[in-house]
Amino acid sequence: MKLPLSWLKDLVEFDLGVEELVEVMSLSGLEVESVTAPGAGAAGIRTARVLHWEPHPEADKLRFVRVTGDGGDGEVEVVCGAANFDVGDVVAHALPGGHVPGVTGPDGSRGMDLSSRTIRGLTSHGMLASPKELELGEDAGGILVLPADTPLGASLDDLIPVGEPVIEIAVQADRGDHLSVLGVARDLAAILDTRWRAPEVPDRPAGPSIPVALHTDGCASFHTWVLEDVTIGGSPLWLRQRLTQSGMRPIDVVVDVTNLVMLELGQPLHAFDLDRIGGPSLTVREAVDGERLVTLDDVERTLAAGDLVIDDADHPVSLAGVMGGLDTEVVADTRRVLLEAAVWEPITIRRTSRRLGLVSEASMRFERAVDPAGAARAVARAADLLVSLGSASATGSDVVTTEPAPAWSERPSVRLDPARVRGTLAVDLSDDAQIALLDRAGARVVPAPDGAGSAGGAGSAGGAGSAGGAGAATSHLDVTPPTWRPDLARQADLTEEIARLHGYENIPDHLPTLPTTGGLTPSQRAERTARELALAAGFHEAKTRPFVGAQAIAGVLPSEGRVLLANPLAQDAAAMRPSLLEGLLQAVRHNHGQGRPGVALAELGRCFRPVDDPLGPALDAIIGTGWRWTDPVGEPIPLQPRVLALAAQGRRLGEGWLDTEATWSVWDVLDVLDRVARRLAPPDDPSWRVERHAITREGFHPGRTAALVLQGQEIGVVGQLHPEEAERRDLPEPVVVGELLLEPFLAATPEAGHPPVPARTLVRHPAMTVDVALVADDEVTYATLEGTVRQAVGPLLDELWFFDEYRGAQVGEGRRSVAMRLRLQDPARQLTDADAEAVIESVAEAAEAIGATLRR
Amino acid sequence: MSTLDELRERALAAIADAQDLDALDQVRVTFTGKRSELAGVQATMRDLDAEGRKALGQQLNAFRAAFQEAFDARHHALGEAALAARLEHERLDLTLPPRRLPPGRPHLLTQVEEEMLAVFIGMGFRVAEGPEAEAGAYNFDLLNIEPDHPARQEMDTIYVAGYDDVVLRTHTSPVQARVMTTQAPPIAVVVPGRTYRADAVDATHSPVFSQIEGLYVDEHVTMADLRGTLLAFARALFGADRDIRLRPSFFPFTEPSAEVDVSFDGPGGHHGWLEILGAGMVDPNVLEMCGIDPERYSGFAFGIGIERVAMLRHGVRDIRELFEADARFLTRF
Repeated sequence: MKLPLSWLKDLVEFDLGVEELVEVMSLSGLEVESVTAPGAGAAGIRTARVLHWEPHPEADKLRFVRVTGDGGDGEVEVVCGAANFDVGDVVAHALPGGHVPGVTGPDGSRGMDLSSRTIRGLTSHGMLASPKELELGEDAGGILVLPADTPLGASLDDLIPVGEPVIEIAVQADRGDHLSVLGVARDLAAILDTRWRAPEVPDRPAGPSIPVALHTDGCASFHTWVLEDVTIGGSPLWLRQRLTQSGMRPIDVVVDVTNLVMLELGQPLHAFDLDRIGGPSLTVREAVDGERLVTLDDVERTLAAGDLVIDDADHPVSLAGVMGGLDTEVVADTRRVLLEAAVWEPITIRRTSRRLGLVSEASMRFERAVDPAGAARAVARAADLLVSLGSASATGSDVVTTEPAPAWSERPSVRLDPARVRGTLAVDLSDDAQIALLDRAGARVVPAPDGAGSAGGAGSAGGAGSAGGAGAATSHLDVTPPTWRPDLARQADLTEEIARLHGYENIPDHLPTLPTTGGLTPSQRAERTARELALAAGFHEAKTRPFVGAQAIAGVLPSEGRVLLANPLAQDAAAMRPSLLEGLLQAVRHNHGQGRPGVALAELGRCFRPVDDPLGPALDAIIGTGWRWTDPVGEPIPLQPRVLALAAQGRRLGEGWLDTEATWSVWDVLDVLDRVARRLAPPDDPSWRVERHAITREGFHPGRTAALVLQGQEIGVVGQLHPEEAERRDLPEPVVVGELLLEPFLAATPEAGHPPVPARTLVRHPAMTVDVALVADDEVTYATLEGTVRQAVGPLLDELWFFDEYRGAQVGEGRRSVAMRLRLQDPARQLTDADAEAVIESVAEAAEAIGATLRR
Repeated sequence: MSTLDELRERALAAIADAQDLDALDQVRVTFTGKRSELAGVQATMRDLDAEGRKALGQQLNAFRAAFQEAFDARHHALGEAALAARLEHERLDLTLPPRRLPPGRPHLLTQVEEEMLAVFIGMGFRVAEGPEAEAGAYNFDLLNIEPDHPARQEMDTIYVAGYDDVVLRTHTSPVQARVMTTQAPPIAVVVPGRTYRADAVDATHSPVFSQIEGLYVDEHVTMADLRGTLLAFARALFGADRDIRLRPSFFPFTEPSAEVDVSFDGPGGHHGWLEILGAGMVDPNVLEMCGIDPERYSGFAFGIGIERVAMLRHGVRDIRELFEADARFLTRF
């Protein structure tokens, strides 16, 4: 809402500079967004009458014009490029030496200084200014033409406050009353403890108006005035300025006055051409499904039951509270006008406006509730302005109201416990002080008839006299809010109003001693551990936008299921990510595009799958269903388990160091995910050991991809991108990725954490080291070989380290040798060569059993 | 000149000539080994009489002593030289970067979030979490945001297709409702997490951003408690000399509501205020809908934009930099 300073000053008394005013407003709930000064800089502009014009002899599109000179006398010659004026019109003449602000030069500079100059052989003394040049409107196609009775030779400064400050405020959702100058003026009066005044309006004329029937509770009152002898013309300068300052476009005097009054008083008005209303009367009713109406913006609207219309007994002529109909609008030759101001139910207007996607200045105000007591004043104010501007005479009027008044238009009183207010605000405000503040807000405050505790309030019938008045502990107040404050409906609302007017700065600060112990849960700490492990391995943490398009690489437990967005911001952001890999790969591509030799990224976050996605049962099988989210009545909402994802490409980099020997490999990713899985799992629980199975997956290298499997369920995937997939993404190989569902580990972390890890007795007898190498077909996995060795060595095995893999002529085609170092120990005795022999023999035997041989 | 004298002269000359420890060792073998000339001289011993043996024995001892002395001296000198050569050879330029992979960096938003959480955890808040695709009932209804309320329209909600009423949560406040409907007061939680709005991406807008929500519900919680908590937070995060101010505002789930600014001293002694969060006393409707008696309990809530704090503190000008994972950005902090 834009507030010209002079307008505000018309309606409220205050004595503050603009800066002080802005400060006060900002600290009192009138959040100032900007202060501008349209028209600032305009100088040397005066009014003049066009005395004569003729086409410029040298240029078709120019006119050579003579206008009145200083004080309305004499003559001045000007060359003008506009054609929207004629002899006798009053125009704005910018004199040589003057300045017009609303011009942007070819170099982007603002404003233009005027001089006498020759245009195609004729001297032009200054210029005739357009509304845009004066910042009195957007219109640059023609010059400003003022009403004929505008004083001549007057400086623009003397007619209007040129370039005055215009304060724009952000209107809070619950403060529809701030959508008018009067509303802000009233609030400022309350804030500053000063007085406001509404414009004086005449009594309504006694003559007849058109009969109106209200057939709906959606309209509380309907006010009409009949205007005759209407002349449609341009608006006077002051009116144009205020509309322009407020961001509205001047159109004609009738429309402009209705808009002005709406801005001033907050009550939207509509002007019908009375001669174009078909029937003898108007009916306000609910629309019928499918009914049609062409609105002022020349769009045919299909109405629905629940919409409200004004009907002229022939057809709808207005979409109530939203927009008038095109065929009854005021036009150039309109002679009789029906001014209408009505009070509509906010929720109805809101629904209609939203359903039609049609937000108007009127709907915006009605849906935030207008002052139900303000319509009479508004329609009278508009009529009075038109009459005083000589544009019409008022002949008749009528008011129709719905009886009894609909509940939505009522502002019932609120019971207030002043002690509770003191408690909530921690401010020692006496009852009287609170009453005074509420009085400033325009509320009517009386002591409550029943001074008993607050519980007795609403339901109990036997209030009167029963308490006997003896020593009532707490006094309560009955507060009737002003009609323009629907937001003051509860004790909490009044508490805020008291705090606001008393000043938030007067609320003390007190650091409470919380009765709870703070901290992270073991599960939350585990999540941080997962991040730390990824970072420790050299991966930088990324945060990507979690939206994907149709093309997204498969990650862990891939499915076709997508959590689609109903109103996505873009087609390539139509769904929530089913896996974190797509976002990370795009980030990898970004870094490659920036000429970086390599990058390794990690992200922790949620992936999103539909409720019936196969990912659901897979996780349920491990941790039950407690990880799923539901709405308050237990209906499932999309699956969104937490995930750790990694992606790396290119060479390793340190600070100022580039590794030209090696690139990031699938082992780097595997290492992190494996480490995380082991660290986050319940300690020493073999059922939480994660296995790795070679798999094939779309987009992945068929020989370099593994699933991480927990209790038979895939919970992770690690692999190198397929060469074609890397090519498609324009990324040099190798590109390696991995994704691990953290949810099973986090959900399985008990509230008190996993049981403490018991210490292991360290054997003090010397250890013995034995190396073994097993030769087996390539198909036999390392996991199998290692398991076989562990099994064979038995309890003497303290540690086992893989240290070499060999392929070549010595072991034969399709086979490999895998070497492991074993550390053997017995808690009870020192081992001998015989023990080593026995271990080697049992490993050899076990190897035979799986088709491998011990290399001797 | 006896054989031994001549031998000694040659041996001492050979020792002096030896250029490294290997050559020196060779000299030792040549002159004192099993097949050396010395061994030959020694072998003549058995052919001598006692007198002759004694005399030769003395000569031999003298030879050995002289040889050993010269040998040790030369050995020591050559050893020192070899060590010096090795040390010189092993010289490293330790201004070179270590050829090791450094650990990665946590994202700036993570760092700021953890720092903020640490302040609240120190005060006694627990950390709670909730889903990002959220039931409308939690995101709106239980927070007193009615379906037709203009505030709901202003939230620029992104809706999830295919569900009756699921949205990408527009704030972390739904976790308030989740906590209050499942726990009894006293409740003191902070809620970090991602939030969403249907905002097109530009330098100051992002459809995804993150917040930390705070909620404290107990008997006799006052607005002074709110102010004190936020003041302590602002000072912990921005500096002990900071101040805060509360400005009246509107949120459907708090009443009274406030925007909260933190003071800053800009260049040239300029003193100003920066808006960092929204806060208020929990609306009694919210308490009631979440099953908490508003007559007995009161509470405060606040919501802080993590991106905003991170950008203010670190001078990040373009919010997009937080989400494009440019390694230059990630490694900066």
